[in-house]
Amino acid sequence: MTPELRRSVRQGLIGGAVVLYLASVGMLVAFDARAIITNVVNFATVLIVITFAAFGYLAGRPGKGGEPAQPFLLAGAVTGAVAGATVGVVAVLVDFLITGLEWDVRSMWTSVSPTLMELLSFGQSPIVGALLMTLLGFTAGLAAGSLHLATTITRKVILLGLMAFVFGALGAPLFKVMLDGMHIPNRWLFDRDGLTITGAIVLFAAFGLARLGSFRVGGPRQALLKVPGTSEKNLRWVISVLALLGIAVLPWIVNDFVSDVLGFVGLYILLGLGLNIVVGFAGLLDLGYVAFYAVGAYSVAILTARSSYLVGGSVTAPAVAGYTNFWVAVPITILIAVVIGVAIGAPVLRLRGDYLAIVTLGFGEIIRTLVLSDWLKAKFGGPQGLTEVAAVPFFGLNTRDPQILYYLIYAFAGLALFISYRLKTSRVGRAWAAMREDEDIAEGMGVSVIKYKLLAFATGAAVGSLGGAFFAAKLSVANPGSFTLLVSINVLAVVVLGGIGSIPGVVVGSLVLVGLPELLREFGEFRLHIYGAILIAIMILKPEGLIPDKRRALELHQPDHQPEKSVLSAEATEGIQ
Amino acid sequence: MTAILSVNDVDAGYGPSEVLQKVNIYVDEGEIVCLLGSNAAGKSTTLRTILGMVRARAGTISLRGEQIQTLSTQQIVSKGITMVPENRRLFAKMTVRENLEIGANMRRDKAEILTDIDRVFLLFPRLKERVAQKAGSMSGGEQQMLAIGRALMAKPSVLLMDEPSMGLAPILVQQVFETIQQINADGVTVLVVEQNANVALAIADRGYVIQTGRIVMSDTAKAMLANPKLRDAYLGELEG
Repeated sequence: MTPELRRSVRQGLIGGAVVLYLASVGMLVAFDARAIITNVVNFATVLIVITFAAFGYLAGRPGKGGEPAQPFLLAGAVTGAVAGATVGVVAVLVDFLITGLEWDVRSMWTSVSPTLMELLSFGQSPIVGALLMTLLGFTAGLAAGSLHLATTITRKVILLGLMAFVFGALGAPLFKVMLDGMHIPNRWLFDRDGLTITGAIVLFAAFGLARLGSFRVGGPRQALLKVPGTSEKNLRWVISVLALLGIAVLPWIVNDFVSDVLGFVGLYILLGLGLNIVVGFAGLLDLGYVAFYAVGAYSVAILTARSSYLVGGSVTAPAVAGYTNFWVAVPITILIAVVIGVAIGAPVLRLRGDYLAIVTLGFGEIIRTLVLSDWLKAKFGGPQGLTEVAAVPFFGLNTRDPQILYYLIYAFAGLALFISYRLKTSRVGRAWAAMREDEDIAEGMGVSVIKYKLLAFATGAAVGSLGGAFFAAKLSVANPGSFTLLVSINVLAVVVLGGIGSIPGVVVGSLVLVGLPELLREFGEFRLHIYGAILIAIMILKPEGLIPDKRRALELHQPDHQPEKSVLSAEATEGIQ
Repeated sequence: MTAILSVNDVDAGYGPSEVLQKVNIYVDEGEIVCLLGSNAAGKSTTLRTILGMVRARAGTISLRGEQIQTLSTQQIVSKGITMVPENRRLFAKMTVRENLEIGANMRRDKAEILTDIDRVFLLFPRLKERVAQKAGSMSGGEQQMLAIGRALMAKPSVLLMDEPSMGLAPILVQQVFETIQQINADGVTVLVVEQNANVALAIADRGYVIQTGRIVMSDTAKAMLANPKLRDAYLGELEG
């Protein structure tokens, strides 16, 4: 066996294993119910094909020197076929265990349902199914391998077309609601929960052609700039105004459920922007950011809830009204958060990197444990938390309505966005950047590291607590279950995915990690699998994030041009002295 | 005349290790003083101690007669002492302009900061050409210029320089030392730490030799240059 062939077989085995993994965690069965093209193909099959194709494509990738390592088509086809065969063989074996040996496989491997077996064998007998699966792998691998023969443009056009069609199908229920909201007829495009055949072709062609067109004129931006009377500057204005208009009308073209999800996305934008100040701007890895979310929620709850001890209420016997209203509570809440931010920040000032991360992780848990404790049950309500938190009063509007609250949340997210931009380019932002790069020297230049670190913690805490305040008012409760470590991880994932230190990155990160999983209901159960997969993919393919911060991108992609490893050698001499 | 900067009987070190022992140095206003010594003699620690980045365990440090050894680095910098660190240690991912702005971080006089940036560009025209470039992408000589410019942005009356010749080609070393003379002529007192004794003594008024944390010799630069014993005993193999 030649090394090339061995590589293909190995890739194929991995590809097969990936599909088997997807099967055994239950994803395939769950996605079997999700149509891509109604009555033609469902998402489970598409997922299998995508996996085979991806490994076929990777196996046919040219070698490091730019030379083709092996014939693309052969490599792709072999890899795909091996992957398909792996899945097929395992399916046949499992089927033999069940029917031949009458062994109850499901007692230990719960996902092996008859539906799964039928899905893997395409409703045929196991042997025929295995052959079909191998054939599917062969075809998918061959097609993916042949992409290497195409020009870059063709490849990108095909990939975008395919992506548009898959995402269009997955988002079908959402898009359908939006189109209905705008009274645009869409029966020809979307069927109940997938695309129609016409819709699939139209989406693929529309996006593919648009991409092809934009290649011709050098990108959509260039194309617009060719229109007489446009300049870079007023184009940016037009885009901003359109974006604002889009945000403004969005709640009215989607339903309540989607508005609610968008509200959550807005909360995560707030949290993400706050954490981005701490982690992105100042370079302090905070794994306990949920603490400020909790502080915000509980402060507002105590100040406005009818069950608050301040007005002598309890969960079972709420008082007539809360102590004060939301707008009075918010400044007090921010003040409390800033004090706690500084209190948490002060003891960890001398810690760096990993140590800081571990200590902040602890602080996050301390806050949660405190509100959960019996000791403070009279104040925070223990495991039940505080209920009957007042809605946000706003000119007599019903702010429990997600469509109304949406505007308030996004107004504050916009404010946080503006503050972030201003901070980033200010004296403070520069001092943070300097501190992040070289704390010692920043200090030597007269930058007060202590002051700026505390400032970062305080600002981050203030923005995060605002998120918490809206959270409590939105759900009308604050309870410890909402403030677990997972929230800290999610917010950090939002920041990392978008690009650490990047402000638009936070918005995109929130949409992708918070919005998408809510909208694609079937994903909910597998959210952590998908989180993991997305983050690993991002770390490998685009370590600087989806919308990289310019300075960060440089750190990750360019080797230092400094003639000597300055930091290392300086530390070395320091050690000797 | 009282010294603008004086270090009196200072002990300092890192953790359990003593580095400086009863170090005495003074610098008069307008002087260039050099502190010579081999690797690990305590030169950099002396500068770091003056700037408050390492705490003096005993002794006093005064600036114009006022004791500063208990002040924070930020306070010391705003009183008029700044440092050009060893190996330059620029903020490599920030632009030339941003590096200069960081140098003026604790100043509030916006208009004057702008004129001072222009003054740095006048001193180093090369930096003006590269104002929007990342500091890390420049050559060693340009980086040294920026490091000096960054320190000048704090409007120092005393400039501490830690091995400005390190890692530079001989011709650039010459240029850097000419610049130091020029800065000095503009009224900035300079304390420069060097291993390259010849170049440093050539521009200095006086010199000190430090060895294993103690000052073992001090004299005028001229006398030191003429002293063959000094070369053999303390600067031996570094003469090249």
